Amino acid sequence: MSDANFDREWQLGDLLDPAQLARVGGALTTLLGGDCAIADGNGNARFGRIAPGARHRAVALELEPVAVVHSASADDRQLAAAGELLHGILRTQVRYHMASALHLEAVAEDFESLKRKHAHLQASEARYRQLAAELDARVKAQVAQLEERQQMLYEAEKLASVGQLAAGMAHEINNPLGFVRSNLSSFQRYLTQFSSLRERLTKDLPAWQALDLDFLIEDGRELLHESDQGLERIARIVGDLKAFSNVDRASEAFTDINECIRQAAAVIEAQLPPGIGLQLDLLPMPSMVCLPGHLKQALFNILRNAVQAVSDSGKPGTIKVSSQATADTLSIRIQDTGVGMRADQLEHAFEPFYTTRGVGRGAGLGLSTARSIVLAHSGTISLSSRPDAGTTVTIDFPAPP
Amino acid sequence: MPELDDKRLSFKLVYYGPAQSGKTTNLLRLHDLLAPELKGEVMTMETQDDRTLFFDLLPLGFRAPSGLLIKCRLFTVPGQVAHDGTRKAVLSRADGVAFIADNQRDQETNNAESFRSLTENCARVGIDFERLPLLVQFNKCDLPSAVPEAEILGRWGNTPWPVHFASALHGRGVRETFATLLSLLYHRQNAACGLAEQHGLSEAAFVAGLLGQP
Ligand SMILES: Nc1nc2c(ncn2[C@@H]2O[C@H](COP(=O)(O)OP(=O)(O)O)[C@@H](O)[C@H]2O)c(=O)[nH]1
Ligand SMILES: [Mg+2]
Repeated sequence: MSDANFDREWQLGDLLDPAQLARVGGALTTLLGGDCAIADGNGNARFGRIAPGARHRAVALELEPVAVVHSASADDRQLAAAGELLHGILRTQVRYHMASALHLEAVAEDFESLKRKHAHLQASEARYRQLAAELDARVKAQVAQLEERQQMLYEAEKLASVGQLAAGMAHEINNPLGFVRSNLSSFQRYLTQFSSLRERLTKDLPAWQALDLDFLIEDGRELLHESDQGLERIARIVGDLKAFSNVDRASEAFTDINECIRQAAAVIEAQLPPGIGLQLDLLPMPSMVCLPGHLKQALFNILRNAVQAVSDSGKPGTIKVSSQATADTLSIRIQDTGVGMRADQLEHAFEPFYTTRGVGRGAGLGLSTARSIVLAHSGTISLSSRPDAGTTVTIDFPAPP
Repeated sequence: MPELDDKRLSFKLVYYGPAQSGKTTNLLRLHDLLAPELKGEVMTMETQDDRTLFFDLLPLGFRAPSGLLIKCRLFTVPGQVAHDGTRKAVLSRADGVAFIADNQRDQETNNAESFRSLTENCARVGIDFERLPLLVQFNKCDLPSAVPEAEILGRWGNTPWPVHFASALHGRGVRETFATLLSLLYHRQNAACGLAEQHGLSEAAFVAGLLGQP
């Protein structure tokens, strides 16, 4: 048992230090008539020397003696009184020592439990802090998700309203386009008929020449031809607009995408300017349920952009179309060696009516329409491009189950 | 843990319980009722409004046939909730515990709270509660508001701890409680301390030696 425990059995040496013992012993020596020795519980003298033949008196605090008073000069009554006195002193001392030792132990215990509480608090504080951080992160993630959804919603709405506008416009333009076209072709016939007058006018040719009608007829033909080309372009734009606005109509079919690619490529190939090559590198793909008309439209738009990009570069170039299926993806890549796009152009490439070309040289609906179509097929479309190096469009569809 | 040297064996028994349940009264009555070979005074430490601030101590002892001095030091703990540190310090190194409950209905919560603190504090000061000699005394049975014995037994009958009913103020059940605690202590310590083998002490002799019966 440790010396610090309050409940140890206190010995004389614990209760009175040598100085205290000397004072008590000195006083008792006087009271006992000149001779006094004080021994501890084991019989060892702690004060004075035990005289031969001295009487003694034991002093107990609990059960066993903690001190024995010895005196040769005192009688029994005196000795009993001295024992009583020492007992009183030791009792006071033991109470004091036990109380203070217990106090120390209790304080240590209290300190221990405070430390435990503190550790507990720290643990729960850490828990709360972690929780707060997690909450914060969750809130941020949700805000980001909300913002993204809102952006998507905004874009979808923009697209829808642009689509409606486009559908309306296409309808409105198609009517006048029809009669202007038919008028122009009538006018072409009229001009031909008019030019046949020249053969009959052998006599008055000078008047014909004075009016420079040869030039007028020639230039008129040219003008009509250009107008016809212009109308052709308008008709194409209107067609694009219609496809753009019709993305979620038409009927589904179980189709081989490679077939769609071949058909779209065939249309493009027919219009390829000299110096531009088209190369297909198609690996077998599983068929998937899709809107083949729309898909072809999307591929056509992308191919047309590619052709345009190569022509714009002023150099000969190639367009490579490849396809490939993995366990979970059907991929199509359309790679051109054209002018390419800068980062700021790339950023807007999918926006309706955005075009990198001069005004009037493209409606800017091609990529936007293509993207709407791909998204409607649960696919993704991405662009990578470097100015003067070319552009690669990648389309991925989830593999059919 | 008992203190053993070649001359003496010292046990520490603790009277534990809520404030004012009668722990000090138990000790005072034991001092009057017991007559072992050696009996010290009750040392009551610093009381404040009659409440035990530190502890009370009653030392008892007798000599075994082998000549070994068997000592038993009985302590009480302060019951007040505020003195938990002191309670733990007093409980430290206990060889047995008498839990003194105040058997008045309105004290049931205090009793339960104090019993819970006993289990907790045992763990804190390194006492194996499962093997601790422990009994429960329901005190103040003389009061009209006392819970009937049958009801108590219905609730405590299935626990591993012996139950005693007492009216410490009138000295009833005090000695019996202590005798039971001594039996539990003997069973727990006999083998380890060689009470029967080395010191010729049967259970009856051990209990009788400390109670002071022939
Ligand atoms: N009626 C009655 N009162 C008791 C009994 N035992 C103790 N008391 C009283 O209860 C109060 C507290 O007793 P005490 O022994 O100081 O309780 P402790 O705080 O557990 O030490 C005192 O006023 C006692 O007189 C009993 O058996 N019956
Ligand atoms: Mg008390």
